[in-house]
This record gives sequence, structure tokens and C-alpha cells, in this order.
Amino acid sequence: MSASHADPDGAIVITGVSVLTPLADDVPSLLTALHARRNAMVEAPDILGAAVSRIEPFVATQYANVRGLRVYNRTMQLGICAAKLALSDAQLDPTDIPSDEFGIVAASTFGHMDTLIEYDRSLMTHGLQRTNPTLMPLAIPSAPGAVAGLSFGAKAFTLTLANGAASSLDALGLGLRFLSDARARVCVVVAAFANCRELILSAARAGALTRPQDVLVFDSRSRGTGLGEASAAIVLERAENARARDVPAKGVLRGHVSTFAPRTCDRSDALKRACEGALRCAGSVPGDIALVSAGANGIPDRDLAEAEGIHAALGKACANAAVIAIKGNLGEVVDAGGLLQVITALESLRSRTAPPIRGLERPVESNLRFVRETAPISATDALVTSMSNTGACSALVVSGGHAF
Amino acid sequence: MRRVVITGCGVVTAAGTELEGFWNALMDGTCFIRPLQHFSYYDMPALLGAEVELAPEDGKGLGSDATTSRARCAQLANAAVERALSDAAMMPVCDPDRTGVIFGSTLGEEREVGDLSERWVRNGPDDFGDEFWVRCDNHRLASRIAGEHGIGGPVQFCAAACSSGNAAVAFAYDLVSSGAADVMIAGGADALTRSIYCGFERMGALSKSICRPFDRRRDGVSFGEGAGVVVLETLEHANRRNAPRIYAEIAGYGMSNDAHHITAPDPNGEGFARAMKQALHSTLAPFDEIDYISPHGTGTLYNDRSECRAIKSVFGDRARHIPVSSVKSMIGHTNGAAGAIETVVCALALTHQAVPPTANLNDPDPECDLDCVPLVGRALPIQACLNLAAGFGGFNVCLVLKRVQ
Repeated sequence: MSASHADPDGAIVITGVSVLTPLADDVPSLLTALHARRNAMVEAPDILGAAVSRIEPFVATQYANVRGLRVYNRTMQLGICAAKLALSDAQLDPTDIPSDEFGIVAASTFGHMDTLIEYDRSLMTHGLQRTNPTLMPLAIPSAPGAVAGLSFGAKAFTLTLANGAASSLDALGLGLRFLSDARARVCVVVAAFANCRELILSAARAGALTRPQDVLVFDSRSRGTGLGEASAAIVLERAENARARDVPAKGVLRGHVSTFAPRTCDRSDALKRACEGALRCAGSVPGDIALVSAGANGIPDRDLAEAEGIHAALGKACANAAVIAIKGNLGEVVDAGGLLQVITALESLRSRTAPPIRGLERPVESNLRFVRETAPISATDALVTSMSNTGACSALVVSGGHAF
Repeated sequence: MRRVVITGCGVVTAAGTELEGFWNALMDGTCFIRPLQHFSYYDMPALLGAEVELAPEDGKGLGSDATTSRARCAQLANAAVERALSDAAMMPVCDPDRTGVIFGSTLGEEREVGDLSERWVRNGPDDFGDEFWVRCDNHRLASRIAGEHGIGGPVQFCAAACSSGNAAVAFAYDLVSSGAADVMIAGGADALTRSIYCGFERMGALSKSICRPFDRRRDGVSFGEGAGVVVLETLEHANRRNAPRIYAEIAGYGMSNDAHHITAPDPNGEGFARAMKQALHSTLAPFDEIDYISPHGTGTLYNDRSECRAIKSVFGDRARHIPVSSVKSMIGHTNGAAGAIETVVCALALTHQAVPPTANLNDPDPECDLDCVPLVGRALPIQACLNLAAGFGGFNVCLVLKRVQ
């Protein structure tokens, strides 16, 4: 997938952002936590040695008061709350937007699964007549996007992408395309991941999870990741719409490309192609990149492939680009990862400081400039990268709001 | 914008798994909705539906999964992809890094989840390995296809309920027309599952007999399983490689969301109408160029009425003269596969200059007073057609297909 907007007159800008994580539920506090190297990971209650995180307490109605919220599962609630917060940040009341000019793209791979498991088990154990019928439409993969669309009355489009950890960058790419093609004036891209016991157990037994203190990214000592709960949302608008509302742009989406690695050994090449494509779409060159917000999660071969892919794409310009990786603090937040990486990148560009990679002591062999201590950054563009378990790779170029 | 054409089609449906047999069966108006032989649920005896007979070689590329019914959705998807690529003379794919896959599904790998849930209840968590993490990731539907064919372009799983197949084709069209890819394999697949039957039964939307779209006696949906896949490429790319045939051009698409109810469509069909208008606007096609409409046509009381209202609101007096037929009356509602299968139907209609009928339509509903092509297919000149799909949550996608002269 690729989409671009290097043309400033038709730019697609970011006017609202939100985060819901175990470390913070607002962007400044999240950045403070990242700079302080806080770790959200704890040991799963009944699975020894498996790092997980959970937002506690999480009371959805504190963030959003929309119809049906209580019957939605945790992932859907997290998504709706993040969307609501991002709309507020963008100073947008959904009822003020013409509903057919307002769309939602959700990123959620497993967001329907615990409802499906509940529904399916009930059918098995209680039979058809004693199973709650309202669960069924919430038990299908499109449900996270559908409920967000219903909650906010979005009539331009609502759909869900399920590309694992690449989902939310791809969702931003799709939002960028839809707005560029004038299919809407405003698009909320929302992503959420909530842990359920089945997923944690399966990931642990797949050998993907390590102990909370050992979730180390881009570190040669790393042995695995943790599964982190989080959601985030970004409000995209056509620039003229933001201008007409007199709302400042927090960032500009410049270009996005997604690729695929048909074999595990092709991952670094696939990511390199995605990065090069995103730079091309953005009309940027590697030297423009001040910051790389990577999706590395602590799984050794993935981190290595990502480092190699970024290095291959940026070449000598690697020396100028600070590389950050928030999953050292938050764990593998799957669909939510890309949006959180973008938001962290934007805040870093704004403050001109990049947060350190938590716990990084022995970086994997590469020529990348990993941020080990809070570091200053000078240029205005960031490259954001992600890779899914299944081989999807995604890269996006974003500029800080002051570039607009 | 680059012109995007369909150069390969693949279907696996109850009406056939090869294009010619599939088309002939549809034109005859044969209904394949029958008592199910290979799928059951203890609490709903005597289920009806449209099942697919796959050949043993259709498990290719699935490894050990092919031997189980769990990976049925992937089996159906792979089988349709193999047929579409072969039809497009793209075995192997020509430029893998400029080729991508977008797949959609309503239910995805739900049978996997059901199977694992059953095991969990029966044996407890100690019986588990990595299955939930690995098997229940719906992106695998697309990534498995890409891996099998060495594809390195964009590979996506798009979940838009029963408009997933149309959405996959629409977004693939965007990627090819914008230059992000030269070739896209786009489609949808769905298997019959416990939850879809139970869900529709409890909603009172499951037909007690057979699906009768637009008929006064219609009483709901009949489900089918299947997959539909199209190979999209630029016209220039197709000509350069001497593609064996060009079925149709995708001229554009429109989309909308009802934002009305999680399961029910907007009764006025306002969302359907907006999707159609946007589609026609995107192609700059005059309304009088549309010679055929493949509607969502599920056979539920509400869908058919709301869809007919929408068609009338868009086309005015001309609506009654445009043939509108639903193949769901023959192959059942294949959920996320439906839009993709019906894209193939539209491509074949443009190629054969004929439209399939709405089977089981004996007593037309006066509120569905369109030309619904009852019972028997019809030859007629077609320059352009619309393919409409809608899904739970209210997402509607309308594709415009044109004949390539």
C-alpha cells in the first residue's frame, strides 16, 4: 500500500492525538515516562515468566459516554475512548462534522476475539437459545471499526484493517489516501490491543514472551517480548479543513508504503523497500530524517531484521538519525504500536528531544544511532517503521507540525 | 490515474469451481442451497446452505492445515487464488515486488477459534501450544497466499463484514491506479460457521427454506461458503505482457457507512444511495450507461426493500429498466466472499453480454418493483454495471465495472 502527500496545498495534517497506556493516558505524561525509562511490563498472573501489561484502572465511561459502550469488549472500549480523546484534542465535536464527510479506519487484529470466544463457548455449553444474541455482530473481525463508526456517527466509511503490528501504520496510509482522494474531510485512525488469557498463553508457549525486566529492544541480550495493552488515535484532516477551523497541525503525513516479506529471511529487504518507498512518496531523502521510531519489540531476529532494513534504506544518513523504540517500555502492543510510535515521534520532533530506549546496554550490531540517553534532534522529519509476525512491513514519513 | 483492468478471475462456490461451469449454472438459475452434508451444529438440526466441493489439490500451500476442516477459509481462498492466477496466465507472478494481495472476510479464521475454544473447554489450557497466537491471526489469509507466490508488495487483510470482498477489490484498485502496485490479487473468502448460523437464527434473519431475494415470501438469508478472486493490473501492463483476456475495467468505486445499527441497514437506503452516487461520480459515468446492477440482495425483508429504495432514488424513473439480479439466490450469501464473487459475476456478465437471474423469485414484492430478472438469465448489451455490497455495522461499497472495447 502506498500513499503520499508531498504537495503542501493538499497536505493531510494531524490535528488530534491520544494515547491510553499503562504508563499514561495523555501524551506529555507518556513522554515523561519514556524519558524516565519506565517499564509497563509485569508478570502475567498465572503464566510464569511471561511479561504483559494492563491499563489499571480502566473505566471506559470516564473517557467516553457513547451508546452501547458497556456491551463492547475491552479492545473496542479502548478504541472508542482513544478516538474520543483524539477528537477532543483536535477540538472536534463529531456532531459538528457533516457525517458523510467523517470516516474511521480502525486497526485491530484480535479485537473481536475474546467476544468470539465467549460467544462460541456459550453456544457449546449453553446452546443457542441461552446464548446472548447481541454478541454475534461484535464477534466478527470488522466489529472494532463498526462500533467506532456507530459511536461517532461516521458516515463516510468505517472499516478495520487486521495486519498485526503493521495494522496502524497501514490504517494511517489508508486514511491518508481516502482524504487525499476527497472521500472525507476528517478521518479518525484508531488502534487498540487488549490482552486476553488465550493470547497470552499462546504467545508464551510460542516462546515469544520473556520476563518483564528482560523486554529489551535492539539489545543483543534480548530473548523475547511482552504483550502490552494500549490504544491510540490520530485525527487526520485535509489541511484546508484544519486551516478553516483555525486549528494547529501537530504533524503532516507525508508518505506511506507497505510491503511484504514472503520468507522470514526477506524481512530486512521488505522493510528497506517500504522505507525507500515512503521516502519517495514523501519527496524526502534519507538526510531529511532526524528520527526513526522503530517497531522493534525484543524478538531477536525481528529486531535485527528491522535494524538491517532501516540501515539499508538510510545508508550513510543513519549517522544523523536518532533511533527510538517505545516497545522497550510498553511491550508488543500489536495494532496500537504504529500510532503510538507516530505520536511519540511527533512529540519528539516538537520538543526536539528523543526519549532513550529503555534498558539498552548492548545494542545489536548495526550502524544505527540508537538513543541510549535523552538526545537532541535537529531536523523535522521522522520515519516510522513496523513489522508484523506474518511478514507485513510498513513505513511512514511524518513531519512535525512546525513544518506545515 | 492509471486504467485498471481485470485479467483473471477465480471462484470456488457451490455452483462450481471453474468459471465456465459456474457461469452456466448461474445462467440456468440453478439453486444450490440444500441440506448441508459437511457442516452441522447440534442445536440447529437440518441446516440448509450452499456447500463447496473442493478437489484434494486445493489444499496446496496450506501444509498440514489442509487436512483439517479448521482452515476451511484459507483452503477456499487459496483455491480461488490459484484459479485466478492461472486464468490470468500469472503462474508465476511477473514482478513479485510490484504485486500485492488484499483479502477480506466476514468471519475469517472463525472455525479455528471455534475448534480451539472447544478444546479449551474440553481439555483445559494445558492442552494448548501457540495456536491462538498463530492460527487466529486473520492476516494469515492474505500472507499465506503472498508467501506461496513469493509476493513482496502490499499484503493486507481488510475486515468490512459482508462488504469485505468489495472493499478488497476497491482498495486494490486504488493501489494499482495510483501506481503503488502494478498487479493486485484481491478477493474474499468465508466458510460456514457455527456463529453465523446461530447469530442469524436468533435475529430471525435466517431463511427457513431457501433465499428468495425480492420475493414477497422471502424470509431471510441462506448461507453459502466460497471465495472469489480477481487479478487487477493496469491496462498498459496487461497489454505489455499480452494478457490472455481482459474481462472488464474497474472504473471506480464509492463507499459509505449507514451509522444506523450494528446489524440492520438504514431502512431508507440512504447509505446505499450515497455509495452508488459516489461510485458514479468517481467514474464520471453518466447514469444512463449503467446496464446492470448486482445488488447485495440477501433476501431479508429489510435489506431488499432498502436497497430497492436506494436504486430508485439514484436512478429515478430509469431504475425500473435496469436489470437487478442477486446470485445469492443460487449460491447463498457467502458473507465476505460475496462482493468478490459478484465482481467476478459482473466481469463475466460484461464478457458474455448477459446477466444471471434471481432464482426462486416467483412472487415479486411490490415494494421491490425493479426488473429483478426472475428465474432465467438474459442476454442483453451491457456497457457498465454496478456491484453493491453492504455489511454489519453499515459499511457499503459500490464498484463500477465497464466493458473494455
